[in-house]
Amino acid sequence: MADTGGDNGPGKKAADKMFSLKKWNAVAMWSWDVECDTCAICRVQVMDACLRCQAENKQEDCVVVWGECNHSFHNCCMSLWVKQNNRCPLCQQEWVVQRIGK
Amino acid sequence: MSTPARRRLMRDFKRLQEDPPCGVSAAPTDNNIMLWNAVIFGPEDTPFEDGTFKLTLEFTEEYPNKPPTVRFVSKMFHPNIYADGKICLDILQNRWSPTYDVSAILTSIQSLLDEPNPNSPANSVAAQLYQENKREYEKKVQAIVEQSWAEVPEEDHVL
Ligand SMILES: [Zn+2]
Ligand SMILES: [Zn+2]
Ligand SMILES: [Zn+2]
Repeated sequence: MADTGGDNGPGKKAADKMFSLKKWNAVAMWSWDVECDTCAICRVQVMDACLRCQAENKQEDCVVVWGECNHSFHNCCMSLWVKQNNRCPLCQQEWVVQRIGK
Repeated sequence: MSTPARRRLMRDFKRLQEDPPCGVSAAPTDNNIMLWNAVIFGPEDTPFEDGTFKLTLEFTEEYPNKPPTVRFVSKMFHPNIYADGKICLDILQNRWSPTYDVSAILTSIQSLLDEPNPNSPANSVAAQLYQENKREYEKKVQAIVEQSWAEVPEEDHVL
């Protein structure tokens, strides 16, 4: 009984400490994402659904595409653009998909 | 119904208000967000200085994948601007990028004013004078600068 009580004390303290550290990290990461990852075509953050999917209520289907140039856009926004010009709209390099996902 | 093109234009407008670019202003017309009125102020230390040149921008539902039709309403005298106000500018044609917005379009046109490209003339008289007789060129530009002031009150009524 006494042991359990003793464990609870330091255990709780450690948990508190870890929690506050994690939270600080998470906030820093999040603001970094916001700054760098706005879809330059529709001007919405890539983590949110693009304007088209927001209008059509298809938020779930909206994914992000990264090119080999490391620029990222909503896949919806980019697939419309590459139909007329297969270049990255930001750096004008030929558009080669590196990865599609969330 | 709010389409992606209309929503994007609302964002362009918000950005123009929050972060107004130097020497240009623009707003959608009262009942049509697809049609904008804009003003470009002639850049300082150029023959166009003090001019208040009015333009219209007409967008389609394909914006921003297709550029708007941009046209000067004010009379212009410039190697790359046609008599009817249409502008010969690569980024509004084959070098268009869907990452441009109203603010970027207008600031590019503003910088075109003092950096004409005489190789693709839309106004051959202006292009020739620009290359061969700067003094006469500047005189003609001065005339359209003065004309642009006269147009302002009249256009304001229309708005
Ligand atoms: Zn997008
Ligand atoms: Zn989408
Ligand atoms: Zn790129």
